[in-house]
Amino acid sequence: MMQFVAILKDSFREAMDAKIIYVLLGLSLLLMGVAATISYSPVEPTEAFASILQRFNTVFPDRGRGKIPLGLPPAMTYSAKDIRAVPGGYSLRLEVKPGAGEFSFLGAGGRQNLQGDPLRFAVVNWMKPPGPTRTFMLPSNGGAVPFEVAEPQEASAEELAAVTDEQMQEFIRNQFATHAGVAQATVTRARGIAEPTYAFDVDLKMSDAVRGWPHHTSLFFGALTLPKPLPLGMVLWFIEEKIVNGFGATITLLIGVVITGFFIPNMLRKGALDLIVTKPIGRSALLVYKYLGGLSYMVILTVATVGGIWLVLALRSGFWDPSFLLLIPILTFTFAILYAFSTLVAVLTRSSIAAILLTCGFAFFLFVVGQAKLALDDFRADPKNAGEVHETLAAAIDGLHFILPRYKDVDRLTTKLISDATLTPLEQYAMAKAKADYPKWGETFGFSLGFIAVCLALSCWRFQTRDA
Amino acid sequence: MSVIETRELRKSYGRIEALKGVSIRVEKGQIYGLLGQNGAGKTTLIKILLGIVRKTEGEAGLLGHVAGDPAARKRVGYLPEDHQFPGYHTGFSLMDFYGALYGVPRDDRRKKIPETLELVGIAGRMNSKIRTYSKGMKQRLGIAQALLHDPDVIILDEPTDGVDPLGRREIRELMARLKDRGHTVFLNSHLLGEVELICDRVAILQQGTLVREGTIAELTKQKGRYEVAVAPGQQFPADAVIKLGFNVLPIPDKLDLFEVSFTSEGQSIDAAVKAIVEKGLSLRHLVEKKQSLEDAFLATVESAEPGVDRKRKRKARAVGGDDR
Repeated sequence: MMQFVAILKDSFREAMDAKIIYVLLGLSLLLMGVAATISYSPVEPTEAFASILQRFNTVFPDRGRGKIPLGLPPAMTYSAKDIRAVPGGYSLRLEVKPGAGEFSFLGAGGRQNLQGDPLRFAVVNWMKPPGPTRTFMLPSNGGAVPFEVAEPQEASAEELAAVTDEQMQEFIRNQFATHAGVAQATVTRARGIAEPTYAFDVDLKMSDAVRGWPHHTSLFFGALTLPKPLPLGMVLWFIEEKIVNGFGATITLLIGVVITGFFIPNMLRKGALDLIVTKPIGRSALLVYKYLGGLSYMVILTVATVGGIWLVLALRSGFWDPSFLLLIPILTFTFAILYAFSTLVAVLTRSSIAAILLTCGFAFFLFVVGQAKLALDDFRADPKNAGEVHETLAAAIDGLHFILPRYKDVDRLTTKLISDATLTPLEQYAMAKAKADYPKWGETFGFSLGFIAVCLALSCWRFQTRDA
Repeated sequence: MSVIETRELRKSYGRIEALKGVSIRVEKGQIYGLLGQNGAGKTTLIKILLGIVRKTEGEAGLLGHVAGDPAARKRVGYLPEDHQFPGYHTGFSLMDFYGALYGVPRDDRRKKIPETLELVGIAGRMNSKIRTYSKGMKQRLGIAQALLHDPDVIILDEPTDGVDPLGRREIRELMARLKDRGHTVFLNSHLLGEVELICDRVAILQQGTLVREGTIAELTKQKGRYEVAVAPGQQFPADAVIKLGFNVLPIPDKLDLFEVSFTSEGQSIDAAVKAIVEKGLSLRHLVEKKQSLEDAFLATVESAEPGVDRKRKRKARAVGGDDR
């Protein structure tokens, strides 16, 4: 243990000696400083609930667990009345009225008019597992983007009539959780109102710092304000996912590869190696400890950056989301993949330049393989492409993806982690391209750990068997 | 039990044989010197003992363990030649790091590091970054790190390299003190004068072969060669001594001093002494001739197969270059 701590301290000292770490820590501080200047002002409850309730026509099947929304028409108008702030939250009367005119939807049997009570129809489809999906081209910024929806399923008059008050209340509770991030709500159907109009008395345990609550966001203590209010979660998602996990993490990983790329070649230099391998420590232990020491560099940076930004965001917005802190071990793990490869190259070549260049190339290669696998899976998932897949290319991509560490998958899972915590399912679907087929955590980390183990085992074997 | 022992030790790097069956024994408490030209195999021998490189054949033991065993390495302090300390350390932090690798408890390190650095004369700079040290200071630090954990055996590869004459004397005195305390010192040095001054035994390697081994006295003794002189005013009886089968030569620049040497096995200087006395002459000077270790070393390597440097020298001569 004493030896491990000694090597860890030595690696820490070596990392801190590279002045660039201070530049990175300075950039982290700058980022924290900028994040600290962002103000989040919640809009008035009336405006906020109007915005939240606008999204209630979007329904996710399988009791909200489905990842692709139902292609339901906006057949109901949800409105909040008598909004009152109460200790620990808000209470309000939710009115649900059918929209004017007829509404149609595309179901399995083609375009159909929505028959019967639209709320009951929505509740029936909300309870059912998702059916087939259909992709629409939605106009967007002068172009069109594909938008996939689950086809609503027909509901018989008996099914509609069988919907109970409890099921409706659960539906409303789930819609508040889905579209506003409100975890606790008490919903009671009000009596004496003729169907198909409904009213519900709703008590929400919440603050206005929930992800779906629209906020006026301004930078630099109000000097620059975004033109329209955005849900709090969406703003936080942009900072956490795009700035920290995207741009910041890429820069940190690349610089990490460069700095730590010198650690093991420096140890293996003529004159330095003799000093260290003659100490009473096994060569494999020495190399593994040195590897772990290199990881400490990334731990320092991620703890400082992610921890600092998390604290600043939470203090400024009131949105305390601990899952963002998982970025610390995840980024360290991503770096561990690259550093294991760098260690292997360093032991084989004893060259820091080779270790740095080959590791950067390897990272790019993993990214390309991950992207190719993603594109291939999307291509395969579309029934229109059946039989169109180039088998040899597909086998090569699948094979490479199988044996290589899941670098891109780790990134996708991190995106999912941040999105789950900050975005509503609809926002996730629209912005984070959330799909049902996210890679599995166990498989992703298991295969990547296996790769790390193989790299380290090869490195140790080579280091053990070669003359110094 | 010997502290260091090798038997028929061989090491090949591909087709190059660095060691060709070297057998040595170093006993506890000795200062043992290893001499040889560049490429003679000295550093390879040390590296095998410490497990830095693997032997090809033969046996090598250190403190009763197989060479390279971590249990043995724990009791050895080593200063390599051309060492490179990490420049990001201070003298103190480097010693602390190495001390921890040797398993020296933290409190002991805190106490012993300043003492050891004081011993080698760089305590005043122990909190400066190593990259600011001179070569001599780095060498002193190297010796200090080899002593910190109070090892039984100290292996020093060119310990005085880059050290000024005063510092060299201090290092020699330090080695003598270590010997007095029962430590064994294994010394690899090109500075033959130093080796002669402090080593108990010396081995000379030539192209991977052990060509001579013994005490300094044994190595420097010139068997069968004596300096002889009779009393002032008397004539040395050179003819009579020659008739007894000895070679007699006047020693240049030393008036009245003659070198009497044996010409065959089994001769004794007693016969020459007797002849001088029988002629009524007074013997005033009779000393068995010795040579310096440097002379002995040069004579040994000259008589043995030439080493790497000599090959290069011959090659240079062959192409008409001057390599003096």
